[in-house]
Parts: sequence; structure tokens; C-alpha cells
Amino acid sequence: MKYILNIKSENAPGTLYRIAGLLLRKKINIESLHVKEIDRKHHISHFTIEIFLAPHLMAKLIKQIDRVVEVTHAEYHRAP
Amino acid sequence: MEKITGAQALMKSLLREGVDTIFGYPGGAIMPVYDALYDYKDSVRHVLVRHEQGAAHAAEGYSRLAGKPGVCMVTSGPGATNLVTGIADAMCDSIPIVCITGQVTGEALGTDAFQEAPIIGIVTPVTKWCYQITNAAEIPHIVAKAFHIATSGRKGPVLIDITKDAQFELCEYDDSIQTVMLKSKHDPYYQKKLKRAAALLNNAKRPYVLFGHGIALSKAESELAQFIEKGGFPAASTLLGLSSLPKSHQLYVGMLGMHGNYGPNKLTNKADVILAIGMRFDDRVTGKISAYAPQAKIIHVDIDYAELDKVIPAEVAIHADAKEFLAQLTPFIKSKNHSAWIGRFRKYDEEERKVVADAELYPKSGEIRMAEVVRLVSEKTKGRAVIVADVGQHQMVAARYYGFETPDSYITSGGLGTMGFALPASVGAKIAGPSREVIAIIGDGSFQMTLQELGTIMQEKLSIKIIILNNRHLGMVRQWQEMFFEERYSFVHMENPNFNKIADAYSIPNELVQDRRTLSPALERMLSAKGSYLLDVMVRRDENVFPMIASGAGVDEIRLT
Repeated sequence: MKYILNIKSENAPGTLYRIAGLLLRKKINIESLHVKEIDRKHHISHFTIEIFLAPHLMAKLIKQIDRVVEVTHAEYHRAP
Repeated sequence: MEKITGAQALMKSLLREGVDTIFGYPGGAIMPVYDALYDYKDSVRHVLVRHEQGAAHAAEGYSRLAGKPGVCMVTSGPGATNLVTGIADAMCDSIPIVCITGQVTGEALGTDAFQEAPIIGIVTPVTKWCYQITNAAEIPHIVAKAFHIATSGRKGPVLIDITKDAQFELCEYDDSIQTVMLKSKHDPYYQKKLKRAAALLNNAKRPYVLFGHGIALSKAESELAQFIEKGGFPAASTLLGLSSLPKSHQLYVGMLGMHGNYGPNKLTNKADVILAIGMRFDDRVTGKISAYAPQAKIIHVDIDYAELDKVIPAEVAIHADAKEFLAQLTPFIKSKNHSAWIGRFRKYDEEERKVVADAELYPKSGEIRMAEVVRLVSEKTKGRAVIVADVGQHQMVAARYYGFETPDSYITSGGLGTMGFALPASVGAKIAGPSREVIAIIGDGSFQMTLQELGTIMQEKLSIKIIILNNRHLGMVRQWQEMFFEERYSFVHMENPNFNKIADAYSIPNELVQDRRTLSPALERMLSAKGSYLLDVMVRRDENVFPMIASGAGVDEIRLT
């Protein structure tokens, strides 16, 4: 199943690396990736990541991403 | 404001966090901090380890007894990479430690400079959080943040990497920014779930409580006891949950998992309601997941919401601190007595005793057994010592047969299974709990992974008792080769050095025990000795640990032979 992850985080070095590491741990390939600061005042970045993953693993993965200290919000939905 | 160096700011920040002990090893890129440390010799005890891995394990052992983060400090490059095993170990077992590493100057970063290692890149996956400081003014805030992250929520290791120029740089020490905002999860259904959990437990015919390291981490020992006593619930422990409930407690039924007790595993698949608290359904506990308690309604309580529904789907999944949750749950629990159900555990105990335990606890002839050594230690210390166990057969035997009576009494490497953990961890434990009897129980293989820390024990004059259960083999691997690899013993025999001569070289009194008659008196001499003491005990070489759930088998397929 193809999913789109929407993640908000502190705009800090290493956050993308930490999230990518969680994907790597499960050998998940990144199909597409977009990162941009969306809130300059609070230094918040927004990630859009497309991945393929079995549905039963998606809910577990998003919690592990959400657990990252720098991440302020993480959600996913099925890609159209 | 008066300007101070980054190194001095780091020392002030550590003192502000209540740090009084640092396990470390100096080197080029951390020298400015060591120079600042020189002025704090009276307020901070620096313990010079013999290898950086030892610093990380010592910080873990310290944290387990002190109830606050252990701190270790090393140089860049190899100093930092040597910490990695200890950091990964702390990550698996949720132990708060704060690691400080020196780094090459900001200008040299990324140039393959001397002793440069990209330590942030290396440790990111095995830390809860890590950060590289390149500017001295950041230090007070980052140190406060590091300690807060290490000790809040699910605890864990953090690492601060500081470039050498930031250590030298002058800054105004501004510790006003101490507030660290971490996101918190508020569950609007918490009260509802709490009451649902209580209703399930109150109506259960065969309720069963499983507890893990979360009890010790949140200091919920008395809440746990009150809760199970009110409901009359039998309770079983994971490896890291051991000693959070006295083994002599009438509702304690034993240890879960691969080498746990017979009844607790068998009856996991007979309980109708299971409350699992402060544990994460590790594969060593569950065995084959599809065969794990399919009949039971499971209530899972954990401080890390990512653990809920990760391995075993829960009927009620509750994100909470163990201590707060138990304190809130107990008032809703009806006083009950489940004696018939608990009797089934006792029946299995009896079977385990007859088939496994009696023979190894009270052997009359043959070589010394690991179990009888642990039994004697347990009897002589009345179950009140701190046992620091390494990894392997001796770890399982110590877990099974030491009669833990007081909390925080079993320190071992659980999740990562790090051989070499015990000797350095015992250093940290003894420093955090100087009034407690600290006994390291170590296999001959594990001992040789970190035996250089005998030097730390000698220099710090620590009264640590070391028992080597020496079977001249990597016993656990040998057992698997015997049982599952058709006795093809592939590289598990060890030609060992004379451990007594090694202890002599470190001025640690020691004895060799080869014969059952001399075992008890030797243990007496060890325990009555004032300082450290090492006993090299020759035990049976081809011993197997039972009960056992074979890899891939379900919990109720646990074997006694």
C-alpha cells in the first residue's frame, strides 16, 4: 500500500536523518520526499514522504515517528 | 556579566543538574573540559574507567541505583565510538544516561581530522536524543534539555557532542532558559479506559498481572504490591522487573520468558484477563506471537505509546506512568481471592522443582552447579544484595535462583544482551549505593570482555564482590548447539587465563573454588571481606538452563528437559 506521511517538526539538523533512520530500520524505501520550513517564527518544518508499506505496519511506524523528540505532529493517509 | 569558557559553563550546568559523579576517560578533544573539571575535584567524583564502554555501562549501573541519570564523558573519535554499545544497551533497557563527547573544532568538522568520528550520525538511531554544540552560549540550555529528555516519559540515553573550540570559547553563562517543552499526549478516554480495565479485572476468573522494568523506573513497587494484594492477583515478572516485588511475596508467581518459570509461562495461555504493565512484550517473553495468550483479554499499560499494540494487540491500551496508573486503578479494584487459580501456579512450581530445581540447587555429587552457587549467595545475603549479572547462562540462573527481597536488586543487560556489562555496571552500582552489598555474577566469557575494569575497582577502592561462574565455555551458545545444532560445538570452548593471577595483579583478594566442600566457606570469606574480592568458581561445563521455550515455540510449549 502506498502512503503519504505528513510530519511537522522543529527545523533542526538531524531530524530528517532520524526519521529516515526509522524507515531504514524496517528497510522501507522513500519514494518521494519534500521538506520545507512552514513557520519561520517557531522554526517548524513540514515533511511529506511517500512510502510503500503493509497496512498493519503503518500505524506502528507513525507512532515511532511521532515519538521523535523534535517531531511535533505526525499523520499518514493512503496515497491516491 | 562575567565571561567564562564553554568548558566552565558545562561544569556549572552539570552541577546545576545535581551531577556529583562522572564516569570518564580524557583525551585530546575533551581536554578543556577536563581542565575545568580539575577545579571541581571536591564536588564531582570523576571515575577513571579503563575503556569508554565501561564508562557507559558504569553510568547505567549508577542510574539503576541512584534513580537519576548516570553521566559519562569521553573524547572524540574512538572515545566516542567506544561508547556506542553502552548507549545502545541503555536505549533497549530505557536507562537514563547523559553522554558527553568531545569533538574536533568546528572548522575541522567533516575534514577527516585526527580522532574525528561523526558521532551524531553514529548514535542517532540508538539515542533518545542527541545534539552537537558548536557554540558555547548554547551549553546551559542544551544540558538542561538533555537531562530533561533523558528522565522524562520513557527514559533513555542522550548524547551531547561539543566541539573543542566551543569548549574554549568565552560566553556569558545564561541559565535562564531552562524550560523545555516536550509534547505530551493527552488521552481523552483515559478515565474510561481505567474503569474498563478495573471492570475486566474485577470480573476475571483467572486474572494475571505481568510487570516489567517500568515498575522500577517509576518507583511503583509499593503501588504494585497494594494493587495485587487488593485484587488477589497473581503477578509474574520480566527479567528486568525482577526485585520490584519480593520473591517471597505470596502473590509472586515467578519469571516470564524463554528461561522463566514453568507456571508463569504455561498459564499465560490460560488466564482470561492479563494486565501487562511497564513491559513491552519482548520476543524473549512472548515466544511465538501468534500462540501468545490468544484466549486472554489484554490490558497493556506503558509510558511509551509506541509500545501499545506494537507486538500484542490490547483490548485496552493505556498510555500512562505505572505509578500514577496503579495508584488510580487500585481504588476501583474489588477485594478478591483467587486461591484456586494461584494453586495452579503452585502445582507447576512443584513440577519445576522436582524435575529441574532440586537437582541443581542441592546436588550431592559431581561438579559444582551454577544454581547452588546462587542459592548459597542468596541464603548468605538473605536476598538483600544487589546482583549485577552479565549475559548468558549465569544471568538466567542468577535471575531464577536469587531470592530478591528488596527493590533495585537485579541489574543486568536485558534487551541488548551485552556481554561485558556486569563488571563496569557494578562499578556504577557500588558508587550509587555504597551501603549495599554489590555482587557481580559473571561468566568466564563475559568477564573477559571488560575485565580491564578491575583497574577501576582497584583505583576507586570499591568493595565489589565478583563471582565468576567458570564453565570454560560460552555456555548459552553451547546449550543451543547441543539442542538445536546436532551437538556441532562450533567455537564455544575457551582456554581461559588464570583469573586468580589477574586478580592478584590488581591487588584484589581472590580464591579458586573447584570443590563443593570449599564453596560455602569461600563465599563466607568473600562476603566478610572489607574490600573487593574475586571468586573463580569452576562449575559443570555442560550444564543446560531449563525450563526453556525454544526459539519459535509458544509460551505453553515451555520444556522442563
